[in-house]
Amino acid sequence: MNFSDILASIIHDMKNSLGMVINTLDEMAGENGYRENPKFASLQHESKRLSNNLIALLSLYKIDHGQLTPNIEEIQVADFLDEIVIDNQSVAQSKSISLSSECDMELSGYFDEWLIRGVINNLIGNALRYTQSQITLCAEMIDDFLVIRIEDDGMGFPQNMIEAQAAFNRSNTLSEGHTQLGIYFASMVAQAHRNGDRSGSVHLENNHKLKGGCSSIWLP
Amino acid sequence: MPFAPGILENRAYLVVDDFGDMRSMIKNMLMACGAGDITLANNGADAIDQLNDKRFDVILCDYNLGPGKDGQQVLEEAKHRQLIGLGCVFLIVTAENAREMVMGAVEYEPDSYLTKPFNKDLLKTRLEKLIAKKQNLLPVEQALAKQNRPLAIRLLDEKIAHKPPNSNELRKIKAEILLDAGQIGAAREVYEEVLSLRDLPWARLGLGKTLFLNKAYVEAQSQFKTITEHNPNYTAAYDWLAKCYKSLNQLNEAQKTLEVAAKISPKAVLRQKMLGEIALLNKDDQVAENAFTKAVKHGRHSVYKHPSDYANLARVSARTQQGDAGLKVLKEMKREFHKDPKADLYRATAESVVHETMGNSEAAQVCLDQASQIFETLDGNTDTDCSLELAKTFQHFNKTDESVELLKSTILNNHADDDLMDEVRLTLTSAGIAEDTLGSIDALREEVASLNRQGVELARKGQYEEAIKLLKETSERMPANKVVNLNAALVMLMDMERSEFNQSRIDEIQIYLDRVNRAEPDNPILVKLQNRLNTVLSSNAQEG
Repeated sequence: MNFSDILASIIHDMKNSLGMVINTLDEMAGENGYRENPKFASLQHESKRLSNNLIALLSLYKIDHGQLTPNIEEIQVADFLDEIVIDNQSVAQSKSISLSSECDMELSGYFDEWLIRGVINNLIGNALRYTQSQITLCAEMIDDFLVIRIEDDGMGFPQNMIEAQAAFNRSNTLSEGHTQLGIYFASMVAQAHRNGDRSGSVHLENNHKLKGGCSSIWLP
Repeated sequence: MPFAPGILENRAYLVVDDFGDMRSMIKNMLMACGAGDITLANNGADAIDQLNDKRFDVILCDYNLGPGKDGQQVLEEAKHRQLIGLGCVFLIVTAENAREMVMGAVEYEPDSYLTKPFNKDLLKTRLEKLIAKKQNLLPVEQALAKQNRPLAIRLLDEKIAHKPPNSNELRKIKAEILLDAGQIGAAREVYEEVLSLRDLPWARLGLGKTLFLNKAYVEAQSQFKTITEHNPNYTAAYDWLAKCYKSLNQLNEAQKTLEVAAKISPKAVLRQKMLGEIALLNKDDQVAENAFTKAVKHGRHSVYKHPSDYANLARVSARTQQGDAGLKVLKEMKREFHKDPKADLYRATAESVVHETMGNSEAAQVCLDQASQIFETLDGNTDTDCSLELAKTFQHFNKTDESVELLKSTILNNHADDDLMDEVRLTLTSAGIAEDTLGSIDALREEVASLNRQGVELARKGQYEEAIKLLKETSERMPANKVVNLNAALVMLMDMERSEFNQSRIDEIQIYLDRVNRAEPDNPILVKLQNRLNTVLSSNAQEG
C-alpha cells in the first residue's frame, strides 16, 4: 500500500465519522434547534463543508489515478435538484438564506448522479458563504448541453477568478492561487463527462439573473 | 407533488446495519417520516432470517455489515430465494461512492443507493419517489408473476406511449422481459431505439446480448468492446466479452478480459468462477488457483456458493502446492456443505484426483467408486453439471468408455440446450477425446429432434396411439429430456381432449410434467400445458 492509498482510506474513514457527527447534530438540534441556536447552525454548516471537501478530495484522488470514469445514467433533473435543495435546506434556513430550484419537470439529463451531486453540494457550500439572501439552482438545455446553474445574490466572483477559470477552459492548465478546490473539482468532473467528441466544462460569471456570482456546469 | 399523504405510513420497514448507533439513527428518521412498523437487524444472516419470517415493503440495508454477508449479498439472496415481494423497495446504504459495487453487480441491482451522510428530509423524498415508482409498475409485476408476459409488455407500451420522463427505464424493463421470453428480435429493436437517441451502456450491453443470443459472436464482441473502451468500470461488459471469446474458442483472450474485470471488482463470485474455469482450460494453474480461492472466499456467505469451486480449488492446489493443500480444501468443503449429495459428489471426484496426485491410487479408486454411487442417486433432470464433472473425472483416470457413455446420455437428455452442448464440446476437447468417439454431438442431437418431430407429426395426422408409443419409448431412453417429456404430455393431452376423460392418463401426463417442473418450473410450455391439464380436470369436475 502506498501513501496515497492510505490517505484515500483515511479520508473514507474521516468522512464516515463526519457523517455520524452531522446526523447526531441533526438529532440534537431537532425541528427548531438550528433557527434558535446559531452555534448549532454554524457547526452544521462547517461539518457539511468538511464533508463535501472530503468527497471532492476523494474523487480528485480517483481521477488522478485514472480510477474514475463517470457512470452516465439518465437522470430526471427536476427530481435531482429537488433532492439537493432538500439536503441543503436546513443549513440555508439557519442562515436565513432562501434556497430553491427551478427546472422543467420533463427535463432529463445524462450524467453521473453521484459526481454531479458532489459538485453542486460543493458549489452551494461556497455560495452559502458569499450570498446575501438567496441561492437558486436552475437547469435548462442550451445547444444540446445540459446547463446547471448555481446563482447567488452576493458580491459575485472576483474578476481574477473569472479570468482564471476562462483560461483554464482554454488551456486546461490551472494558474495558481486563483481558484478554489470546489471549482477545480467541478471542472475536473465536468471534463470527465463526454458524449462523442464533446466534453463538459464549468463557467463562472456575475450578474446572470441574480446580482451575485453564477457558476454553471455544462454537460454534453 | 402527486403523492397521497402518508405514502410512507402503514408500511413494514427493515433496517440492516451492524452499527447500533446507525440503526437507531435511521429508525428515528423513519419514525419522524411517519413510519411505525420498523424491524432492525444487525447483520446479513439476521436480515435473511427476518425476511424469511415477514414480508417487508422497504428494506434499508447497509453495504458494509462486518463479517458474513454484505449488503449486496443480502439483496442477491433475497431476490434469488424470492424472499422479497414484487413491490418491495430495496435500498443499499453506502458510506462511500457506490460506483464499484453498482458496476460489479452481475445480476441484481438494488432500487437505489443512498450515500451517507443523509438526513431525514432526503430519506423521505427518496422513499416517496421509489414507492410511487413501484406502485406505478405494480400491474406489470403482477402480470409477470402470473407468467403473463404479453400483458406485461402491453401495459409497458401503454405507459411508454405517454412519454413519461422515465420512458427509458420502462424500455429497459420491457427489453428484459422480451429477452426472458426469447423474443430476441423484439428486444433488439428496443435497445436500438434507445441507442439511436443516446449511447447508454446498459442499452449497448443489451444490444450485444441479443447479438450473442443470435450467435453473432463477432458483432456482439464489438459492442461489448465499445462499452469497455468508453466505460472501463462497467464490468458486466467484460463478462459478456469473455463469453464471446469463449464461444469463438479464443480462450486466452477470454481469460485476459476476465482478469481485467476481476481486478476492478474482485468480489463477484460468478466472475471469479468463470475466470477459474477458463484458466483451467488454458492450463494456467496460478490464475485458476487465485480465482477459485476468491470464488470460495467471497462465496462463503453468498447464494452463489457452489461445490464445484471447492472441487476445482482442491485439484488445482494439489498441483501447484502439494496434495495436503488439496485435502485441506476438501476438509473445509465438508464443513461448508451439509447433507448435500451434489457437494458429496464433487468432493468425491476431487478427492479421487487429489489422491492420485499424491500417488495414493487405492484411495483414488475408492473415491471414484463412491462418486459413481452418489451420481446414481442424483436427479438427472437438474444435475447436468454433475454428469459433466463425473465424465471429466472418468476421463482423468483414462476411463474413456464410462466418460463417453455419460456424455452421450447428457446429450440425449438435453439435446435442446445449446450452452450445455458447448460445455460438452469443451469437456471433450480438454480431455483429448475426438468428438466422433460418441458419434458426433450434432448427429445425436438430430436423432432426438427427429424423434420429437415424428411424434408430433403423427399426432397431427390423428395417429395418436403411434405418437404416444413413440414418445413414451423415447422418454424411457432419455427420461430427463424436457422436450420429449413435454411432447409426450402434449400428445396425450390432445388425445384425451378429443376423446374422453381418463384418470390414469391424467396421472401419466402429470408425471411427465413433474419431471420438467423439477428442472425448470417456469418453462413457458410447461406452464401452458399445466394450465391446459387443469382446465380438463376442472371441466370434468363440473360435469361429474
